[in-house]
Amino acid sequence: MAHLPRIDEAACLAHGDCEDLAPDVFHIEDVATVIGTAPVGRLVSIAEACPAGAISVIDAETGEQVYP
Amino acid sequence: MRGPDADVLIAGGGLAAQRCCETLRRLGFDGRIAVICEEARAPYDRPPLSKAFLAGDDKSSQLAFKPRSWYVENEVELLLGLSANELDVAGRRVVVGESSKELLARNGEHGDTSATQHHAHPSLGRTLRYGRLVIATGSRPRRLPGIPLGPKVHELRTHVDALSLRAALHEGSGRLAIVGAGLIGLEVASCARALGLEVTMIEAGATPLGRALPPKLGDWLARLHREQGVDVRLETCVRAAGLGAARAKLDLSDGDTVRADTVLVAAGSVAASEWLAGSGLGPGPIHTDAGGRTCLSGVYAAGDAACFPDPYSGERFPTPHWEAAVRQGVAVAHSIVGVRPRGPVPGMFWSDQYDRRIQFVGHAPAACEIELDLGAGERRGTARAESVGTADASFVAWIRQNELPVAAMLVNRPDALGRARLWIADAGSEETRRAA
Repeated sequence: MAHLPRIDEAACLAHGDCEDLAPDVFHIEDVATVIGTAPVGRLVSIAEACPAGAISVIDAETGEQVYP
Repeated sequence: MRGPDADVLIAGGGLAAQRCCETLRRLGFDGRIAVICEEARAPYDRPPLSKAFLAGDDKSSQLAFKPRSWYVENEVELLLGLSANELDVAGRRVVVGESSKELLARNGEHGDTSATQHHAHPSLGRTLRYGRLVIATGSRPRRLPGIPLGPKVHELRTHVDALSLRAALHEGSGRLAIVGAGLIGLEVASCARALGLEVTMIEAGATPLGRALPPKLGDWLARLHREQGVDVRLETCVRAAGLGAARAKLDLSDGDTVRADTVLVAAGSVAASEWLAGSGLGPGPIHTDAGGRTCLSGVYAAGDAACFPDPYSGERFPTPHWEAAVRQGVAVAHSIVGVRPRGPVPGMFWSDQYDRRIQFVGHAPAACEIELDLGAGERRGTARAESVGTADASFVAWIRQNELPVAAMLVNRPDALGRARLWIADAGSEETRRAA
């Protein structure tokens, strides 16, 4: 089952922790953008590390939010 | 008459300046941008200085926001090692000088060696004419009379300060005395305990982080640090400091004497706006509107040197935090280019202490109601704040003023941050509507 991260652009401060942790998934400019995906466990731990709490994780098939 | 030396001149080279530059270019601004950086380093990130960097994680090269090539590619001119000394409003120019000896003295040892071209910089000792000016000179640590800086007495603001403090902390076991229980003092205490040092923390206020946290949450923080072995002295001042002997000797207002190998003065910060004397701006932080405009035409301010109105209450209070510097730097860029600003978002700061990530959203007055949520979906009604123990690894404190949501403190609860922000923003928007 595939999962995708989603960025809340109003909340994102482009701190860059997500890109540091997963340069294959996130790219930082003035806000973070999603450029890939990863297993759900890894996505959630990256979302937890975001100081701005700007990352959520959704189930790509059902659209259901699994984090937070 | 010649044109300006820079279409946008930014005084100060910290986070607000960096984000202002980035946003200007992203919005298509193609004028000349120059940044007066007081330190010898290109703009870099400060929060790690009191966290991972101090603990010994030597990624100092990674503190830089951008590689040097970014500034070349984006045509942002960095004037390193220079300071803005005076603002001539009528002439729309800034008098530029060499940074204070204190800042540059140690740069020979630790400075960014690729940044030494400033020694022959033609801007030195002259004036720079601007089209628009952004005041982003930040803040500097408050100094305490009677505790002068020296080999044993440190402050922590810059990379150079952090290198020097780190060397002192790693030199051996021993005792560290920290004057001030603000974010920097608390984070350094946490690092120092992890390194095995004995730590005494001396705070004049009744609770740690007293300007930001309601007293009951400050109490929790004091208990956390005591449990980790920090000797926390509240409502206590340093009466006299003896710094000549092998160990520093601090005479405290409670009659006790603390001897320490290293002293950190972390008693808050003051806006670095003295250079604006006579310009009509200041003293203290520079008041702006929501777009960062000051009362002077073409002059903006952002970051620790600025004071924006709260987007919900309109009140002004200091926000010397990373998040505010980002939003304000971006807001100024939007104002300069003339595009709509981003919508309001509650302010926030975060801190890492021991194994806790503490995130604080919104603004809490001293008189407020606190409701605790100890997680696992169990909302504990109106649990009293005293009931939260330091053994509770995680919790959310929901903070209301007159029943209106105003702030939230999250301890190891990053999952609740989005919800907390909405909770406060919805109430704030409602209040704004009601007032209108």
